[in-house]
Amino acid sequence: MSFARFISKRILQGILVIWGVVTVVFLLRYLTPGNPVSFIAPLDAGPELRARIAAELGLNQPIYTQYWNYLTGVMQGDFGQSYIVAKGLPVSDVVFGRLPATIEMAVAASVVAIVLSIPLGVISATNRHEPSDYAATTFSLVGISTPNFWLGIMLVLVMAIQLDQLTGAWAWLGWFSPPTSGMARYQGSPVLFYDGLRYLLSGNTAPMIEWFQHMTLPAITLGTYFTALITRLTRSGMLDELGQAYVQALRAKGLPETRTRYRHVLKNTLIPIITVLGLQLGTLIGGAVITESVFDWPGLGSLLIDAINRRDWTVIQGSLIVIGCGFVLINILVDALYAYVNPQVVND
Amino acid sequence: MSLLSDFFDWLFGGIAMVLGKAASPRTIRNLKSELSRSLLAKLGVALLVVIVLAAVFAPFIAPNNPQVQHLNQTHLPPLGFSAATTQTTSEMVNGSVTVVEKTVWVNSTAEYPLGTNSLGQGMFSRALYGARVSLLVGLLGSGIAAFVGVAIGLSAGYFGGKVDDALMRSADVMLAFPSLVLAVALVGLFGKQGIAVHDPFVALGLAPGMPATFKIPGTVILVVALVNWVWFARVARGEALTLVDQEYVKAARSVGASNFRILRSHVLPNAITPILVLATIQVAAIILLESSLSFLGFSGTTLSWGFDISQGRQYLATSWWISTVPGLAIVLSVIGINLIGDWLRDALDPGIEGEGGV
Repeated sequence: MSFARFISKRILQGILVIWGVVTVVFLLRYLTPGNPVSFIAPLDAGPELRARIAAELGLNQPIYTQYWNYLTGVMQGDFGQSYIVAKGLPVSDVVFGRLPATIEMAVAASVVAIVLSIPLGVISATNRHEPSDYAATTFSLVGISTPNFWLGIMLVLVMAIQLDQLTGAWAWLGWFSPPTSGMARYQGSPVLFYDGLRYLLSGNTAPMIEWFQHMTLPAITLGTYFTALITRLTRSGMLDELGQAYVQALRAKGLPETRTRYRHVLKNTLIPIITVLGLQLGTLIGGAVITESVFDWPGLGSLLIDAINRRDWTVIQGSLIVIGCGFVLINILVDALYAYVNPQVVND
Repeated sequence: MSLLSDFFDWLFGGIAMVLGKAASPRTIRNLKSELSRSLLAKLGVALLVVIVLAAVFAPFIAPNNPQVQHLNQTHLPPLGFSAATTQTTSEMVNGSVTVVEKTVWVNSTAEYPLGTNSLGQGMFSRALYGARVSLLVGLLGSGIAAFVGVAIGLSAGYFGGKVDDALMRSADVMLAFPSLVLAVALVGLFGKQGIAVHDPFVALGLAPGMPATFKIPGTVILVVALVNWVWFARVARGEALTLVDQEYVKAARSVGASNFRILRSHVLPNAITPILVLATIQVAAIILLESSLSFLGFSGTTLSWGFDISQGRQYLATSWWISTVPGLAIVLSVIGINLIGDWLRDALDPGIEGEGGV
């Protein structure tokens, strides 16, 4: 099988999965208790008004007509309109308006994780049974066992509250400002990296500094689990690889140790790590949902929780579909990357 | 009737065979030698023993009822700490009543070793009872997920073809939702039902003053099983795929053994090691998932670690221990279970690599 055929088969599978996602999300409304009308109608609404709302929602049509209308709507990017959370706005505007903030947090966390974890794993594996190895192993064990929402709260407690009270210096810097009060100012219009960059190019550095300050704690909170996980995987993978015969051969050939380690061993270690990371992407997105609620981050996750609590069905469905599709899309990209670095999988 | 008794015969015979395989002399020898070699495995066993004992005997260990409010004992710090609180009193100054705010230093008391929350409930007692909820959800959730996932995965791998395609495509749709997102949506939409369970020790009159019932978050258990069976299905399917071509499976088929018999007697016992290791890791993952759900307010009980962490958030600046204590309990128990997972993996070498996070 060629690379192109592998990818197109994968994309076809992905489209089928997305169809399944839309179907499940559509059916969810019929499987769960509670009439959607009662969450929209005013408390004193009479039967006539309720019937009009039901007609507006299309609830009086047969279920297959509703399904068909919803499916064709979604394919055109129309998720209906929000009735409660953002009254009257199209769901696509609400959902895609919140998406950038979530993506930025996830990307920042991934950058933190990759930059820290791979060197840590390499140091750990090449200094086996030395203090640096024990430190890295302990960090990764604690890191994968800590719930990230609690880590976030502890970071706020230590960085923003205790240090603030002790020194006052942190408050003056504005660094690690308590995100709950800090972010509240940006509900609905967060300082995005993109905005910061735009201002930076016109000579205004303040928005970029603000972006960095607000991003620091959430990125560490979300990134710690992955830092710990990749450190663990890099360490065990490198230890496996260092015992292989080809490493002996490279050393016998007289290749410098650093070149052996980084050009050959680390490269072979990274390939299986990509697969595990692909499987763990759900954890990243799920973690973003809960990190958003810790830091009042105006992203997709806090939107979803708000919509669930207030039963804004169109928004629940829209956010679930966007999260599901994004996840499927990233998985296809990871598979493509994996097939590119390891052409063997194409032939399976 | 005969079908039903056949089914039970099949089920219990299968369980006996699986346990026999899981507890074979070679397996036990491997586990022992790994335990004596590894300090971390010992630490994991010790942590788990402490937490299980704390959960089971919570009514005896807890110094006070975790649900009774003591409104004159609120915000007490843990032993060895003192905390400043503002007390407002009305005083007569020059003939007019004024409200005076005073800063008072409160010391810890032995009755509440880890302090109290804003309702005057002891954090130590609450942490002990929280262990019950977390461990029950972890064990039951992982058990149900394993049962369903293994049944589906083994069938998919063994029968192959259309059955495999249908089951694995539905698994793909499940995997398209991050487990926390799916769990939040399902618990939020289906409602958070708690099942009140009578505490046997209190019912027997052995632990007076302790709560007579405690709540198990029922919806949460079903939902965490529903979002996690896929991991078991994937591992079981992979095992079945390699086992179906083994000589002994072919031999059993050639002498006319039924598919169910082959699955039970030949495929499942040989696939059990990776499933056991996965089930252990999943207990840790499900405890983290449960704490996330109850932190977000999607749980059926108010006596759980995640709930207490969320309650402590608004008092972070004054009473740091309310969020800190239950969080440490989560971290310690998850570390313990993860270490046990590592121990099983190193001793039994099932060849799977840490799949299935929160």
